[in-house]
Amino acid sequence: MNCANPINAAVLADYWLAALAGPEEEAVELHLLDCDHCGARLREVIALAEGVRKIAREGSLRMVVSDSFLKRLADEGLRIREYAPPAGGSVQCTVTAEDDFLIARLAANLSAAKRVDLCLCDERGVEQGRMPDIPVQPGAGNVVYQESITWAKAMPSSTMIARLVTFDEAGDERLLGEYTFNHTRSMPGPGAWPPVA
Amino acid sequence: MDIELNDAELVLQIGSGNDREAEAELFRRMAPRVRLYGLRHLRDEQAAQDLTQQVLITTLEALRAGRLREPEKLASFVLGACRMTVLDLRRNAQRKERLLEQFGADLPAPVPWSLPHLDHEQLTRCVQNLKERERSVVVMSFYNEQTSADVARLLGVSDANVRVIRHRAIHQLRECMGVAA
Repeated sequence: MNCANPINAAVLADYWLAALAGPEEEAVELHLLDCDHCGARLREVIALAEGVRKIAREGSLRMVVSDSFLKRLADEGLRIREYAPPAGGSVQCTVTAEDDFLIARLAANLSAAKRVDLCLCDERGVEQGRMPDIPVQPGAGNVVYQESITWAKAMPSSTMIARLVTFDEAGDERLLGEYTFNHTRSMPGPGAWPPVA
Repeated sequence: MDIELNDAELVLQIGSGNDREAEAELFRRMAPRVRLYGLRHLRDEQAAQDLTQQVLITTLEALRAGRLREPEKLASFVLGACRMTVLDLRRNAQRKERLLEQFGADLPAPVPWSLPHLDHEQLTRCVQNLKERERSVVVMSFYNEQTSADVARLLGVSDANVRVIRHRAIHQLRECMGVAA
């Protein structure tokens, strides 16, 4: 079961997503009806797609999402807890066992920003992690950030600061907005993270 | 049955007479391929199975009657049958019943269907390790089944750029999962 001219896996993903133009799709389909090797590769791509769908529904990824993504989750009956602190503001927050997704809507003027980083900081403002070059919609006026619900459910009461930053022509960092989340634990668990060795 | 026969030779074998073994081999060979087409277009395993059955019945009917003039063009014929059957599936239940009555008993049992197993924890790590844009594009594409144009609009990039990002992400995920690109 070999193929002298296997179809690229990314093209097979496009095929699965119905993203190929008519003639290209026809060529792929003719090949697949004649080639078990590429059929097996397509099954791998489908398994990958199904795996990603399953992971996405678990709410455990840290990522920037869209409103249509949230709508799809809600349509599936998944429970979304959302906080929307203003830039420079703070919010009291928690998660419960019933929550499936945790969303922070970070308001900011993104119209002139070519690159935006999301920095996650501790209560002193010390950066603990950074998501570089996040996808943003220039006219949206906010970034919709999904925090890992798995992590949030395990998190003791604490304060987290999120910052959106961009860069000027000289490459210097410029603050777009800072948002403080005062998290109160509402589920059983340790009162604090164990000290770092 | 000599399973080394190529598709065109199988077509000739079936057209030359009542060769049940050749027909069974054709079914075994083509059913998984047609089912993939069905999954892609119908997004439902049962519907894909129904499509497979009908397409193969139509194909056998044509081959027995010697209607496929160019045996090397079997894939092209089957693709045409797939397209017609997808169109027919929703509007012509009676034809389905008639064909199943006429040919159903000749068909072997459905070929078991399964997708390759992926390590869920490993895939989670691989997705989380993608760059931010790649992760968003992959999740929005596969979970939300949004078109490249939709994703492009949401991310403020071009349609072509979304495709490039998605291609890069697919290759990285496959590499991370230990699958050849």
